[in-house]
Amino acid sequence: MAKEIIDGQTMTRALTRITYEIIERNKGIDDLVLVGIKTRGVYVAHRIESRLKQLENISIPVAELDITPYRDDQTHEETDLSSIKAEPLDIDINNKHVILTDDVLYTGRTIRAAMDALMSVGRPKKISLAVLVDRGHRELPIRADFVGKNIPTSQKEKIKVSMKEIDGEDKIEIE
Amino acid sequence: MKRYLILEDGTVFPGEGFGSSIITTGQLVISNNRTGIEQSVTDPDTEGQILAFTIPSVGNSGINRDFYESINSQCKGVVIGSSSLSTVDGSISFENWITGLRIPGIKNVDVRALAKHIAEHGEMKASIMDTHDEHAMDQIKALVLPPDLVKRVSTRQSYPNPNMGLKIVIVDLGLKYSILRQLSYRDCNSIIVNYNSTAEEIENLHPDGIIYSNGPGNPTDLPNTIKTIQTLQKRYPILGIGLGNLLIALANDCRIIRLKEPHHESSLAVKEVASGKIDFVNHNHSYTLDEKYIGGSDFIVTNVCVADGTIEGIRHEYLPIMCVLFEPEAAPGPTDGYYVFDEFIDLVESVKKQEGVRNQWN
Repeated sequence: MAKEIIDGQTMTRALTRITYEIIERNKGIDDLVLVGIKTRGVYVAHRIESRLKQLENISIPVAELDITPYRDDQTHEETDLSSIKAEPLDIDINNKHVILTDDVLYTGRTIRAAMDALMSVGRPKKISLAVLVDRGHRELPIRADFVGKNIPTSQKEKIKVSMKEIDGEDKIEIE
Repeated sequence: MKRYLILEDGTVFPGEGFGSSIITTGQLVISNNRTGIEQSVTDPDTEGQILAFTIPSVGNSGINRDFYESINSQCKGVVIGSSSLSTVDGSISFENWITGLRIPGIKNVDVRALAKHIAEHGEMKASIMDTHDEHAMDQIKALVLPPDLVKRVSTRQSYPNPNMGLKIVIVDLGLKYSILRQLSYRDCNSIIVNYNSTAEEIENLHPDGIIYSNGPGNPTDLPNTIKTIQTLQKRYPILGIGLGNLLIALANDCRIIRLKEPHHESSLAVKEVASGKIDFVNHNHSYTLDEKYIGGSDFIVTNVCVADGTIEGIRHEYLPIMCVLFEPEAAPGPTDGYYVFDEFIDLVESVKKQEGVRNQWN
């Protein structure tokens, strides 16, 4: 049985707080770039972007990143990473401060893959990570700079994030 | 008994006296609250104020004595249209309650005409008197309102509100108990201190966060408190509410202005700038921040009033300081604003966590 642990209001608040923290820690947001990891990370990025725009009146570029080719936890087939061609981002990330956004941070493998993908298309000045949920159980030395909610979980549990843009409503469930 | 509400400009509103029969003077405040009259009257913000309620009939369902925001009401007087003498469930009537609090009241006043007069001519001093002869007029004209309102309502002695969570020091500028209720609900281990406490005294309490509370009067009357904020804000997360917000703004070179139409209403819409979310919250303030000075400061505007565009909340860009001008603790009014306390707790916790990380590396 799925149990709702975070409702739409709390999710909205978490995103707003992440936005405040991004402003607070960056002393000016001029060289920021948001890169959302497909699928829900993109919506997270767009929501942060619209908040920054409302608060600071500056539009920050947002890009979508498809990391499927870089994943190491989905296919068991041998894949030669060097043979994969990176999908070009539609923005320039060279010398920018890239904030990667995703919905759930779990093993850290997605983020590693995302960083590989980023590095293959440019050389950012800095990469930070913003996630809606940090559920623990990292398998790689990765941590998020901006966390919406820390949700301690067991590895048997599943975290399901729903977002208005694709799922019709905002909520986070555990099952 | 026939009594008179006399305004500073000489306008007289006749009515009938109830409650205490003393002659009273104060700043006349027009309140649009429809419910939560108990909380409005006991709010320490009413120190030095005569409250006029625009609702035609007050206390129609009786008075709930479990709703109070201070033990002794500081309110100087109440002005109403009419009130109901019958009550629900044997609770006491509005008039009996006001009598018990020893507050002078005047009823059968044309409160709509009064509100309109104030809206047209601006805020005024007023007096509730037995006569309206020349002598009475001279008295009200000569009246100077005391500038030390905060001193009168702030606690003289520090006291704790113990719990097991984060340690929050609250600087009492006229603290409403509902702020403590909200902190208790979030397990905060709070200590309430006098408004004139020095930065050193507050530091010695080793707080995780500091709250500057709501309160009455003009913030420029409190230069010492402003200086203390300037020292403390570099080291601790701070939440400013109402008067606390104005003081924090003044401590950071912002300016304040007096509102042409002051906000005294228990349910007025406020927009959160970042998300566009609308909250209905309790307002009780006559000042706001001057927009012109926010741009040049390190603050960003986080909340605005939907009705007139007044700034209702700010946040520092680099320091962990957040402020709201409305009253997030509600009491009276809808509880939409409670999230402000959650946000502050999040802020305090994130600062604590970062300090922990820093200590690990050093």
